[in-house]
Amino acid sequence: MIDEDLLKKWLNDDLTDAEKIAFIEQTDYTVNQKIIDSAQHFKASNFSRAEDFETFKTNYQKKSSVKRINWIRPLLRIASVLVIGLAIYFSFFNNNLVNEKTLASEKSTISLPDLSKVTLNADSKITYDANSWDSTRRLKLEGEAYFKVAKGETFDVVTKTGVVTVVGTEFNVKERDNYFEVKCYEGIVKVTVDSIKKQLLAGDTFRILNNKLSQDKMQQVQPQWINNISRFKAIPLADVADELERQYNIEVKFNNTDSKRLFSGGFVHNNLNNALMSITQPMDLTFKISSSNQVLINGSKN
Amino acid sequence: MSEDLHESICEASIFERVYNKYADDVHNFLYYKYGSQYNPRDKTQDAFIKLWDNCKKVSFAKAKSFLFTVANNMMLNEIKHQKVVLNHQKMGVKHYTNETPEFVLEQEEYLNKYNIVLASLKEEQRVAFLLNKVEGKKHSEIAELLGVTQKVVEYRIYSAFKILKKELEGFKIK
Repeated sequence: MIDEDLLKKWLNDDLTDAEKIAFIEQTDYTVNQKIIDSAQHFKASNFSRAEDFETFKTNYQKKSSVKRINWIRPLLRIASVLVIGLAIYFSFFNNNLVNEKTLASEKSTISLPDLSKVTLNADSKITYDANSWDSTRRLKLEGEAYFKVAKGETFDVVTKTGVVTVVGTEFNVKERDNYFEVKCYEGIVKVTVDSIKKQLLAGDTFRILNNKLSQDKMQQVQPQWINNISRFKAIPLADVADELERQYNIEVKFNNTDSKRLFSGGFVHNNLNNALMSITQPMDLTFKISSSNQVLINGSKN
Repeated sequence: MSEDLHESICEASIFERVYNKYADDVHNFLYYKYGSQYNPRDKTQDAFIKLWDNCKKVSFAKAKSFLFTVANNMMLNEIKHQKVVLNHQKMGVKHYTNETPEFVLEQEEYLNKYNIVLASLKEEQRVAFLLNKVEGKKHSEIAELLGVTQKVVEYRIYSAFKILKKELEGFKIK
């Protein structure tokens, strides 16, 4: 098929001059040529072109800025999940510290989350974490409080001087200047002060007064101050006066008196005159109340 | 320009050169192979965007084959065996003012048939034929583009021509 070979060569643009003439003389030359010519009608650039470089650059900026925005979306999602997670965490696990405080001449009784009862004497403060109370019954005490603890896990009262640990009992903890005292009315109370560990049973008293440790027994089943009476057994006058100050919100000054003298007795919380008389008379002292809530206690001898 | 082989296309001026050199070729390749309905212009753009994004990984020498491969793949991803439609240029009256209406009509019919036959060709035949006869690309060039030998290209062009001739036999030529 010479024709076929010529055709192939023609399609390859590979004809010699002689072969070209031979090809053109073929009968179907016009048909062949028309096919090739007509192909031009289908040239791509008549209908569609690639964009020029400037247009490309502009479109690229647009496309890549869209891509950048898509980056932000997943980041925002992650951030919001984190925020929500943190919020949940903090609302559930956050400390919920509760403070209960009394001022001078004030008493109050509060219930703890486990229905334990705490009665605060004047000028006292307790602090505890309500959220974790179920698992940890531990509170901080400044001042004096009487505790009636419900049965359950160990119950800790932390003071500056020492820690009192109980399991369902009634006890009194007093922490004032240089005065730390624990009285057990029911059950067993463990007291820890630095390296000293003592266990108190009902009726036992543990006291550190001016750095001196003493233990005692008592008859009462309840502290007297709850019934608005303060009782003292061989307590320095200065500390008695302190309590008087707290109960009546007054200031007591000593004149010509040795305030280290020990006092045994008590005073009421609702009558300052009576209270002062109860303190001064047995000690052979006198007192004077000035108008601005100031009391002067006078000694007659040195 | 052997120095170009080591130049990075991440450089704006180099990339522009690459763009200007191959944009039309990539576009036409896509157009001839897949027709106009799948937006060869956009795919050409996308292929160059991908080249730019990967400019660190593609050398100057590899840029051309990268573009063609990527463009082709992008197109394939979109199409699922649809019919190809090339547009043929409607006859401009100015070329045939002294022809009879019958002739114009016949030409139109001829080109319509031509279009149908082109669409029915195998992609590879159509691409090779049009790149050679319409765009004037040499066989060696086309071979490199498509990743085949020159002989294969020649055979594809020959096959395309034979089919066209056979299908268009009925038309009388003036």
